[in-house]
This record gives sequence, C-alpha cells and structure tokens, in this order.
Amino acid sequence: MNPIRANTRAGTRLFTGVVVLAAGASIAAFTQPPNPIANVPIPKSPTPAYAPATTSPAQTALPWRLNNPAPNVVPESRANPAAVVDKFNARVRSIELRAKLRAFEGAPPVVPHPTTDMNVQTCRACHAQGLRAGDKTARMMAHATMTSCTQCHVEAANSFLPDQPMPANSFAGYRTSGYGGTRAWAGAPPVMPHPVFMRTNCVACHGEFGYDGWRPDHLSRTNCFQCHAPAAEYEQLAPSFNIPDVPDGTMP
Amino acid sequence: MLTLDRRTFVKSAAMTAATTAAAAGSASALSLPVLSQPEGSSLKWNKAPCRFCGTGCHVMVGTENGRVVAIQGDQKADVNKGLLCVKGYHVGLILYGKDRLTTPMLRKDGKLVPISWDEAIATIAKRIADSPKTFAMYGSGQWTIGEGCAGNKFMKAGLGNNHIDGNPRLCMASAVTGFLSTFGVDEPPGVYDDLDACDVAIMWGNNMAEMHPVLFSRLIDRRTRGEKVMVIDMTTRRTRTSDHAEHVLLFKPHGDLAIANGIAHLLIKNGTYDKDFVAKHCNFRQLGPKPDEKTPPDMLGAPMTFEEYAKAVEPYTPEKVEELSGIPAEKIRLLGELFGRRDIKINSLWCMGMNQHTRGTAINCLVHAIHLLSGHFGKPGDASTSLTGQPSACGTVRECGTLSHLLPGGRLVANPDHRKHAEEFWNVPEGRIAPKPGYHTVEMFKRFNTPTDQGGDITTLWVQVTNPGQTIPNLERNFRKKKGLADKFLIVSDVYPTATTELADLILPSAMWVEKNGMYGNSERRTQQWFKLVPPPGDARDDCWQTIAVSHKLLDMGVEGMKGKDGKWIFHTTDAAGKEVPIWDWAHYYDTNVDERLFEEYRAFTRMKHKDLAPYQEYVKSRGLRWPVIQQPDGSWKETRWRFSEFDDTYVAKGKGFQFYHSVTKDDKALVWFRPHEFPPEMPDKDFPFWLCTGRVLEHWHTGTMTRRVPQLHRAMPRAYVEMNREDAKRLGVQNGEVVTIKSRRGELDLPVWIGGRGDPKPGEVFVPFFDEGKLINQVTLDEYDPYSKQPDYKKCAVTVLRKA
Repeated sequence: MNPIRANTRAGTRLFTGVVVLAAGASIAAFTQPPNPIANVPIPKSPTPAYAPATTSPAQTALPWRLNNPAPNVVPESRANPAAVVDKFNARVRSIELRAKLRAFEGAPPVVPHPTTDMNVQTCRACHAQGLRAGDKTARMMAHATMTSCTQCHVEAANSFLPDQPMPANSFAGYRTSGYGGTRAWAGAPPVMPHPVFMRTNCVACHGEFGYDGWRPDHLSRTNCFQCHAPAAEYEQLAPSFNIPDVPDGTMP
Repeated sequence: MLTLDRRTFVKSAAMTAATTAAAAGSASALSLPVLSQPEGSSLKWNKAPCRFCGTGCHVMVGTENGRVVAIQGDQKADVNKGLLCVKGYHVGLILYGKDRLTTPMLRKDGKLVPISWDEAIATIAKRIADSPKTFAMYGSGQWTIGEGCAGNKFMKAGLGNNHIDGNPRLCMASAVTGFLSTFGVDEPPGVYDDLDACDVAIMWGNNMAEMHPVLFSRLIDRRTRGEKVMVIDMTTRRTRTSDHAEHVLLFKPHGDLAIANGIAHLLIKNGTYDKDFVAKHCNFRQLGPKPDEKTPPDMLGAPMTFEEYAKAVEPYTPEKVEELSGIPAEKIRLLGELFGRRDIKINSLWCMGMNQHTRGTAINCLVHAIHLLSGHFGKPGDASTSLTGQPSACGTVRECGTLSHLLPGGRLVANPDHRKHAEEFWNVPEGRIAPKPGYHTVEMFKRFNTPTDQGGDITTLWVQVTNPGQTIPNLERNFRKKKGLADKFLIVSDVYPTATTELADLILPSAMWVEKNGMYGNSERRTQQWFKLVPPPGDARDDCWQTIAVSHKLLDMGVEGMKGKDGKWIFHTTDAAGKEVPIWDWAHYYDTNVDERLFEEYRAFTRMKHKDLAPYQEYVKSRGLRWPVIQQPDGSWKETRWRFSEFDDTYVAKGKGFQFYHSVTKDDKALVWFRPHEFPPEMPDKDFPFWLCTGRVLEHWHTGTMTRRVPQLHRAMPRAYVEMNREDAKRLGVQNGEVVTIKSRRGELDLPVWIGGRGDPKPGEVFVPFFDEGKLINQVTLDEYDPYSKQPDYKKCAVTVLRKA
C-alpha cells in the first residue's frame, strides 16, 4: 500500500497523500460547518496514492489483463487537479437542479413541460433513449419501462388550469450530500449513494444525457454493479428500529 | 494497513473525493462539506401503509430528527412491490402544511377561540350527558382499526346509542350489500393476485389508472414483460384508463344494469354458462314482492328456478342492450363470448361507478352473477373484485362494524344473538346494546340539519377523520342548514381547516398517520399495522385518545354506561403487572399500546364470520396479512388468498371444490341474482339537458384536505373544472377555459370548461371532480340513494350548462 499519513491532531482521521493544487475560489460556494480538515498539514510534495500498475507481477502472469488494463483509480485527480473541483461543483449544481423537480431525493421528478393527458406512450419518444435539443435535455428513463408514466410523474404546473394560492408547506426533504458514495479506502470504488431499486439504468443519470459531474471517466465500462455495490442504508436492508426485519408474511 | 474503524474510512474517503489544496496559506479554502449521510446519520426507515386509498400500498418512511424527510415504495410489500403513485411518493408532505390545527378551539359568540384539552373534553362530555340519545358520531374509512373499535364500543356498548355511521356509507356500502346478497358475507373472495393472472380485465365504470394507479400498473405492466392481458374499459367517459384498453365501451349512465343482463342472456342462450359450477354451487334469486308501498322488498330476495331465471334475462338481447346502454350489439356479443370461454381468466374490477348508484346493490349482484354463471370464479385470475377508496373502509368500518346497523365481525344490531355476542365480548351487561339500528349517513345529516322540534333528533354530532362539509350530497340542505340552528353542536376532529370545520362549534386538533400508532385494512382483506414514528405538531392528539378521554370524563360524571359488567371502565387497560394504565391521561396514553389492547379485544369478534385475524404482534412483523389468517400446527399464521376455494381456503371442506360457507340459502351455494334494468330517479330533460358525473383525479385524494397542501400535487391539479365534449361546447359556443355555470335543481357552481383534458365525456354529459373545497360540486348533486345500501348516487343527476352573460 502506498503511503497514507495519519493526522495525529485529529486522532484517527486520515489524510491521503493525494493533494490537488487548484484554484480554490470556486469551492467557496459550499460553506458547511464544521471543517474537519482545516488544520490538516498539507504535504509539500504530493505523493501519488496509487502508482501506475504497469510492473505488477500479477499482470504479467495474466495475459488477458495486459490487453485490458484495469482503469486507473484516480486518474483525473492526478492528471488534471482542477477538473476534480470542477466536477464537484458541477455535481452540486446538478443536485440543485434535481432538487427543483423533486420533493426529496428519491421522489419521482415532476415534469417541467406540458404533458398530454391521454396517450402517455408519447413520453417514450424522448425519454426512452434520452436526447438533447438546444438547451433542453430529455433524460433517459432510469427504470425499466412502466406503462403508466403519469401515475408518478405529474406536471410541475398544470399547463391548462391557472394556479391558485395554497397553504405553505414546511416539509424539508432529504437531500444527498453531493459527495457521492462512501469508499472503503481512498481509491476504492464508491458504493451507490442512492437506492438501486427503480434506478437500474445507471446511464440515465451517469451517461451522456445524465447530469454534469455525475459522469464517470470510465463510461465505456457497462457492468456498473461489478464494482459499485448498493448501499445498505438506502436499500431497505438495514434493520428498522423496534420492527424485526422479516419478509412479508405471504404464503409460499 | 493501518488500523482504522469503518467510520474513519468513510470520513477520509469523503475528503479524498474532493481533496484540494489551499490557495496560498488560506486554510479556509480547504473548507469542504463532510459527507453527511453515511454512518452517523440519523435517517431511519420504517414501514407504514400509505395514508391514502384502499389499495393498501406499503411505504418506507424515512425520518430524521422527529420529522418525515423521505418516502420509498416498500419492496417487501406484496401489494405494491416497491412501486407507489405520485400521491404515495409525496405522502410524507401531508404532515407539514403550515395551517395544521394544533390547539382545541371552541366557538364563543360566533368566534373560534383556543381552549385547553380539559375544557374541550369536558364540553363534549357535558353535551353527551345532557342528551345521550341525540348524540351521533360520524367516522371514517380513514379511522384506524383502534379508532373505529373505540368509537363503536363507546357508542353502542357504552351509551347504548347506535347513531354511529361512517363515510364508507358514501363509497362502499353497495359493494357490501352486493357481497352479502350474493355470498352471505361481506368482502371480496378474490385478491390482487388475480391481476397478475387474468387474461381479461373488465373495468365497470372504473378509472383505475387514476384511482388505483399502483394496481393498474400491476396489471398493465405485465405487457412490458411480454404477457398478454386484454383490458376492456366500460365507461361513460374516456379516461386515462381507456388509453390502455383494447376495447373502450362507452355506455349511457345506468346502462351497466342492461350490459350485465345482456351477458347473462348470451351465456344462457348460447349454452355457454358453466353448467357444472352452476349445478353444484349456485341458486337463483330475485327480489320478492314489496311488503308495502313504502318499503322495498327484502334485500336477500326470494328463490327462482333456473327456468324462471332464463326467462327473466331473455329480453336482454344484444340489440335490446344496445338500445338501453348505447354499447353496440357486437360488443355485447364479444363480452358474452369472453365470459362463455372456459380457457381464459376474467377479472371484473369496480369502484365508485357501480357503488355510487341508486341501484348499487343490484349492479353489484349482477356482476357477481355473471361471474358465477360462467364459472369465472375462485381461480387465480377469475374474480369479481370491488376496489376501495379509503385505506380502512374494509378494515375499520366494514369489519369492525362502525355503521349504524352493524356490530363487529359481520354482526347485525337487529339480531338479538349478535347483540348478545357483542355484549359478551365487550363485557357489558346484557341489554346494553340498543336493538334498533341508528341513522345512516344521509339520514343522520338530514336530522342534524333539521330543527329539533321538527323531528331533527340529532343535536350533537362528532365528526372524526372525514370531511362531510364537502362530501354529503345536496350540501345546502344536508349540511349547511345547521348554521341557523342554535341548539345544534358540531364537534370536528381534524388535522387541517376544512369545509366541515368551517361550521364546527368545537375543533379538536388530531394526530395523523405516522404521528400515531395505527392499523388499516385494505381492499383485499389485508390487515396492516404501523407504529408512531414522529410526534404530532403542537397540542394535536390521537383521535382514539379523544374518544377514550371523553368516555373517562363521562365515567367520572357517573354515566353508568361507561362501566362494564365487572363495574370497571369499558376501556380499562392494565400493564403486564395487572396495574391500571391511565390511558385517559394524554401523558400516559403511550405508556402502553392502546392499539394492541383494542385490537386483541376486537379479534375475538372475528371468528363467527370466518374473518379470523392473527395476534397483533404478527402484523408488526408483516406487511399485512389477508384474513382469514389461520394458525398452523407449527404455530405460524397462514393468510388466505382465494376465499371459498378449496385449494386455498382452510374453511372449505375437503372434496367440495368450492364452498360458500356463509350461504344465504344455508346450502353452501352462492346466489345468481336477477335484477332488471331500471332508469335512474333523475334524468336529463328539457330544462336540465346534461348528465353530471362527479369523481376524483390522480393528484388529489378525496376532498383534497391533505393533497392540496402538497405543492407537487397542488400545482399539477390546482382547481376544479368541468369536462365537456367538444361537440357540446361548439353547439353552446363555449370556449376552452371559459367559465360556465353548472346548475341543477338543487344548486349551481361556476367552473372553467376543459375540453379534451383529463377525461372526455360523451356528448350530453359533463364531469366535475370533487376535490376542490372552493368549488363544492355537492351543492349540485342529488341525494337519492340505493334502498339497501343507503349509498347516494354522485354519478348521475341532471344539470344545465349556462354561459355567463
């Protein structure tokens, strides 16, 4: 393993050797207390967390790997440090964009354009594959085709009937942090920071017509689940408080 | 590798993900948010049934710091398998409308002023003690089972007063009388699994795509998996459901009676009825003679022979049915042919179209009849199933018997044996329960809105968990007249200001949904349980506690009925050590699980009609169980899917195949009813040339008190409108969006016209949704009702459309 330095001040906290020199201004948009790494000493000469795996004996032993080298785990941060910051900012902008159409992260988005009341099959014309027209993006469906689209997706504002005032609502929905999924160690593939149910089509959000900041640098890889595991806290796998987590009491 | 706990890894990972260096010397430039969710997050997920319709989807409720913050479809739930509709996904938001009622309020000199709970409870108790026989309680299919049990016991076994009815009278009563007349016992024999197995699904005036969206998707999404399912949409107007149907059969209002008879005619004429099934399992039935001019014939009817039956349906030739219903004769033949086939499975589905019908009992019986006659019964996919509009119309009102003529477990007030059972189970002295049924909903409200000296013998009315100020037909006459009557007193327990609280003399703020423990029972006999997950706002408290607190106040005041046979309070509750828990005191209400205590008491009632329920703790573990739930030799509990079918129902004797063990005719046979086609009491004429139909829309649930406080739902459907056919609009010169007046003999309402909108009525018909409290369409509707179910017909009355000058 490559050097990982413990931050003695923070006790068990770690700081990896990967340090990016970047214009810091653009991060100022996210002010969130407290700052756990403000006093972390910054190493003067960054040491890569992961050395390029060109001389690994494992690779020479396995000819197929020579032709299919494993992707570099942190290529962007080393090749273009500024891109990481940009990506993070884009990611947060995307979260804000999504929040406009969702009561909470995980809610079905409302439709930001007029919809037809009959013949909902027309939704598929744009949303089956996704498309971009001018400055508009039609996202691809994240779930398998379900027939009654308007069951879950309603107009953001009725396109025919005029709005009228309503009592305010103080609901504050759950929002994702923007950091993406947790990793077991610095270079590990992150777990999925959201439920996988009804989001089986990863490229809907992470692909061409997906969200800025959410596209991986290895889009050519298509079996996402190979490396990215679902996170238990969203997957209805975590035990619930004082309710035993048992399967539904239906018959075999 | 360094020794690190997982939490540390997570934090470090978070930092790494956005690691950056400082702009020279500035430590703050490193200021990046830490990952907030994973580990250490207080977001918790718990199960609960959805608050809205009778489908009974389960949701996962995400809570954080005492508030609901997210909702997911529950993947472990058999009903919805992880899917929800737009209302369900936004159900968490209904708790947080800014105008939640948070303190009791009493009207003093015409103005509502905040009062204490003690004063509120004392005020109610005094009204009741002063005149216990003119007190009435109006509950709801949104009552939890505990709330219904408490209200029912308090009224019938405490006050000896049967004036307790529930709003399912307005939505499910005709389905009940249909099941009782046909099978001798209430609730559908089939289940939702039939949706997965049927080849043909027939909608009988049922816009399932908007009203039971999750079940509709369960049906039509089979097509995306390569399965074939034919949807036949019999409807009076084109809807979103029509959009997914192979056959859209547009019929004249009330024409369903003729259509069902037409199918029976073809089955007999073509000899394609199921001769074996009919011979073994069916008797024929028709109405007997009227006992006198005013009384309708007995609901359970009189026998008829097969020959008489065949003769009765003979006139309903496809051509005759075309004339009566407007559906082309060839399509009637198609229906007859489908029912005549043994190689396909047919699932009939209905909701308000057949129930809100002045011949609601008749059409329910007729649809069961064609399923029995054709043997399309009791096999997976073959069923006639009514769908419910409220989450616990079945679980609370129909099963616990919170209607004026019922006692728990399918018992009748008028039956002396049943009263005796109830007195035993409730442990109250013999004779406590009054032998005469109380007033049904429309009658209750008519009397409450009639001066006391003119026969208006209901003076105090307590409404819980429902909004009659918007839903009672002919509102001016049956709800709003109360305003001028000084001695009437309206108590309303609710969560938001509504059209009902507007006229309330006393308002009690209630806890709702996951702010309290609860149990519901859905359309497919599934009993569900949930726990309180977040605190209610302000001083809001459980409806069940409110009833219990009033009961205890009456006990303190010496009202004898509040004591049981043993001299103890009727809601006497003890802890594990046998010590009394003061559940009348809000501070101690959650010291024990009152729901469990009431449910276990109620459970004893459920055996007689074979609606056996499992112990409370079994429901805690499950996503609902469908009754009868039978304990197995190994101690586990098995639910029942297909009732009366030997392969699944424990109560069917071996070798019987099918057994209708609550048969009206006591011979284990079901009844194939004949009921003639009849015309409705009010039809369009020269002065009022249009039919008016009312109903619901996808985004709003019933009177919109909850869904209209959810921005996503409100903006998508902000106000009521009137759907009109393009031809009519052209003829009247009405523009799309123009505001017109809809006028009936009872009232009028201004609404914008929406042509080619959510639905598309036939020429001569208009449709108005009832969710908008600013546009009360029930000022216009007719208060005629079915003679057996007493359920009003909100789907048909005559109106005229007037252009504004």
